[in-house]
Amino acid sequence: MSIELLLALITGAALFGVGVYGALSQTNLVMIMMGVELILAGAMVNLVAFWRYLHPDNPAGQMFVLIIMTVMAIEMAVGFGVAIARFRAKGSVEMEEATELKG
Amino acid sequence: MTAQMFFISFFGIAAVWFGIVVFRTFSMVRSALALLFSQTALGAMFLSMQAEFLGVLQIMMMATEMSIMAIFMVMFMMDPGGLGEMDMTHQKRLSLGAGIVSFVAAVAIAVFVDWGPAASSAPDAAQQTVDLGLELLGRSMLIFETAGITILTAMIAATAVAIQPVKRSNEHEH
Repeated sequence: MSIELLLALITGAALFGVGVYGALSQTNLVMIMMGVELILAGAMVNLVAFWRYLHPDNPAGQMFVLIIMTVMAIEMAVGFGVAIARFRAKGSVEMEEATELKG
Repeated sequence: MTAQMFFISFFGIAAVWFGIVVFRTFSMVRSALALLFSQTALGAMFLSMQAEFLGVLQIMMMATEMSIMAIFMVMFMMDPGGLGEMDMTHQKRLSLGAGIVSFVAAVAIAVFVDWGPAASSAPDAAQQTVDLGLELLGRSMLIFETAGITILTAMIAATAVAIQPVKRSNEHEH
């Protein structure tokens, strides 16, 4: 296995770990979204590394990266839409206060 | 150590470091900027992995996305400058544990799986772009079009959710 591939995969793993910590530990909706962005970034690094070091002749690998970028953009758009609606209704986007659906 | 290995390590460390800074600073604007630097370092990492189109796309897209995020931060946070040093975290120990476990699991998979022989070279930038264009408008067209429609739907849905409800007074009621 190439060292470059391993380095890229370790970077992806680290970004994923930091993202999981951020998404679980933050109380603000926008900060939680930042954690999710880092998780997706970790996935993206892996996809680029797999394309480059395992199948550089198959452009489908790059296409998957474009799909992840789309998911990131959708997550941002919907997340900010929800944040605006929440802020308008409750005056805050603190998720500890969002207990309406709690069983 | 080859130049490619050096740049992948350098930009990888930068991306992870700025990713950590996102959750360490009290200033929300600094958080958004740290995420921007992290994503830009990733773009540079893609460039050093010879994925030129994706690298440039990543840098351009994330610069816009994170600028918007910084504006939202200032709009929505109680203390966007971080001067009050408010702690806005919960279940820290559980989150840290989950983060470390997922990192270790992903590294273990990366190290112990036999990925097979690595390719030594990639097509040049122009050829990559041609290949990707043909892929997107050929074999993967349905997936690509679905992504386009999904993002359009998400934009409309996000606008519909965010828009202020108009209270209509019905004059014909009385």
